[in-house]
Amino acid sequence: MTPNRALSDLRVVDLSNGIAGAFCSKLFADFGADVIKAEPPSGDPTRSLGPFPDGASDPNASGMFIYLNANKRGVTLELKSERGRSVAADLMAKADVIVDSFVLGTMERMGLGYDTIQKTNPAAIMVSITPFGQTGPWRDWQATELVEYAASGLSYVNGSPDREPLKEPGFESSYQAGASGFLGAMTALARRDFTGRGQRVEISIQEAAAATFAPQFLGAMHSGESPGRGSTPLLPCKDGYVSLNVRHDATWEYMWLFFDAPEIAQDTRFATAAERRRRADELEELLLPYLAKYTMEELFHGLAPLRLLIGMTLAVEQLVDDPHLRERGFFASSPHPTAGEIVMPGAPFRMSETPWSFDSPAPTIGQHNDEIFAELGLNPGELARLREEGDV
Amino acid sequence: MSDMSDIRPLRHIRATVLTQAWAGAFTTRLLADMGAEVIQVESLNRIDPWRGGYPPRLSGTYPNRDPGERPFDRNAAFNSVNTGKKAITLDLNHSEAMDAFLELVSISDIVAENFSGRVLPNLGLEYPVLRSVNPGVILLRMPAYGVSGPYANYMGNGGTIEPMSGITSLLGYEGGPPMNSGVMHTDPFAGLMGMAGLMIALHHRARTGRGQEIDLSQQETSISLIPDHIMAYTMTGKAPQRRGNLSDHMAPHNNYRCKGDDSWVAITVRSEEEWKRFCAVIGKSELASDPRFHDLSARLDNIEELDRIVSEWTRNKDAYDVANSLQSQSVPSAPVLKAAELLHNPQLKARGFFQTLEREDTGPLPYAGPAWRLSETPGKLGGPPPGLGQHSEEVLRDLLGMSQSAIDDLVQRAITGDTPPTD
Repeated sequence: MTPNRALSDLRVVDLSNGIAGAFCSKLFADFGADVIKAEPPSGDPTRSLGPFPDGASDPNASGMFIYLNANKRGVTLELKSERGRSVAADLMAKADVIVDSFVLGTMERMGLGYDTIQKTNPAAIMVSITPFGQTGPWRDWQATELVEYAASGLSYVNGSPDREPLKEPGFESSYQAGASGFLGAMTALARRDFTGRGQRVEISIQEAAAATFAPQFLGAMHSGESPGRGSTPLLPCKDGYVSLNVRHDATWEYMWLFFDAPEIAQDTRFATAAERRRRADELEELLLPYLAKYTMEELFHGLAPLRLLIGMTLAVEQLVDDPHLRERGFFASSPHPTAGEIVMPGAPFRMSETPWSFDSPAPTIGQHNDEIFAELGLNPGELARLREEGDV
Repeated sequence: MSDMSDIRPLRHIRATVLTQAWAGAFTTRLLADMGAEVIQVESLNRIDPWRGGYPPRLSGTYPNRDPGERPFDRNAAFNSVNTGKKAITLDLNHSEAMDAFLELVSISDIVAENFSGRVLPNLGLEYPVLRSVNPGVILLRMPAYGVSGPYANYMGNGGTIEPMSGITSLLGYEGGPPMNSGVMHTDPFAGLMGMAGLMIALHHRARTGRGQEIDLSQQETSISLIPDHIMAYTMTGKAPQRRGNLSDHMAPHNNYRCKGDDSWVAITVRSEEEWKRFCAVIGKSELASDPRFHDLSARLDNIEELDRIVSEWTRNKDAYDVANSLQSQSVPSAPVLKAAELLHNPQLKARGFFQTLEREDTGPLPYAGPAWRLSETPGKLGGPPPGLGQHSEEVLRDLLGMSQSAIDDLVQRAITGDTPPTD
């Protein structure tokens, strides 16, 4: 029996390149929508991003492309050619959701703008994800993850006060923007259920990242001051670092019982949470020799059940082996025809009725061209001509 | 509900939520932003920790640094992620309160919470119980480690979830120790994913009438932020390292010091064409053919010297001037903005990203808008954040039809109300 797929009534045409648009359409694909990923004949730029099996570059074996595009069908389209654009228009005419990553004017110049699409497909929802949005003085500015992170306020607070601010590892602002694009499309679909009409969804990656900084922003509006660089301290233990936060007076006592030093819990200098915050440096000095006797795991499994807030600083190689994640089956494994078996992050959340699943591996370049063009009603002769003239 | 002038997409949806702090509260703020009626339920004995405690804790940020008489209504942390909601108080340890809560569930589309895994079962509010009063209800649970597995009942927050997700081990300067981030950014990403789960479940319910339970582990949504590093290990067997802002694909690729107080600018060069344009902008076209820098691999080999040359150029310049001159040649760059500077950023300002909301006791303040803009709906935030218990009487009376004398009785017994006991 085929599993119950929540979004199986939807078709998504993804004309975007880069990570944000692909993450947006990935959320559709992983919950059952028919997602068609359109790429230029040379392939999507994430195909060159890797990581690659054994480090050897291959556009059909890029880890990031495979992660972002599993469960999608792949088609190549040369949008610079008139014939390619006309096939794109045919695809868009049958889509519930269209995703693109072009600045304002580009889709219009190609005859693929929302106003045109609306005439053939008034129910379509068109999601445009660009670095700084479609309006404003920076609408044509170029961006990368480091630049987006800087422009959203999120970089400034990361790192040491005396050194350069740090971006997060990976591509966080792209995922924030892709998720926002998905949510914009899903809310527009909820509206469409009542009206039958689609609408445009516009995402600025800068805004998607800045929206996650709302508490720090409002705090700065309240106090007139921006938070500087600094973070929850990590404390060294026998084999790594732990993050440890003793908020309640009861858990403070439990912790010293665990360390077999209950008398320290009675020390009046640290009697209340407020005192402990005030004397954070002294407290750290007091704690370090005790922490040094234990491994991260001993501390975590000893203190977390006592309701202390504690985290182990897990390295990636420890994470993929973590017993909790293993029992929950978080990491998914996708057998891919060119890249082999790849272990990657799985479901972002579990739905009891309509599960996430890996049904098909990410497409190789142009893998579903024949199938998709046939669905559009092109005959083999027309297909051959498209191929000869470099339109696909 | 029947106001036809309200065309926000979720105006037909009602959510009764126990969400608190950041991740869960952010999910349900997004619901409210989109027009849903969100009823946040707190207990006077256990108000949302992001209200900052009573009396206020040292860490709260209050307007003009003044906690005022009702500090729990004035905390930036709570107010930033609860716009447009209704706030009621119900002490669920009392059967009358539990009855009222389940009555609310019976007329709601969504229930959401982000306590640690043990809290909902302890309250006797697992999904079968909710479904028995409302077969179509959707339940979103988002504890730190999810609902199942050996860590399910452990507590967590951003400061512990980030290290448990691998991100902390990757954040830091080359050769230095691991670092947590300056903000608990894994919370709002979990919040976005929580909203994604709810929207998928609503779509399914609109077609089948069936509700469902969503189990979101904040540890897992956080790991979803580093798939490239996970796969770098699983595909090559090599453990990824901390590398500051270094990139394999771009050089320069860093934040560089500018004129002014702790001022920085982000500069990235993606291709050899951009490198040539960059060299021209900084007035050193000869660098483009310098053997130390003539291509990406040479620049990566000499990254320290390269960063030194770029810093020399930026050090006495304004960060906006640097970004403007590079962007005029299509080289990706932007100032590293501080929280307060976002308000004056010309791009965010021109697009009206911040919206003014007014509470009587905080005055008008700018709030960060939702991250997506729908062409047909006004894109206005639902309203200011609610004070503690502000809507208790309204909800109990108008939605549940409770008599004034019954409400007065609950207030008198501190089962509901608008002022907590002091800690």
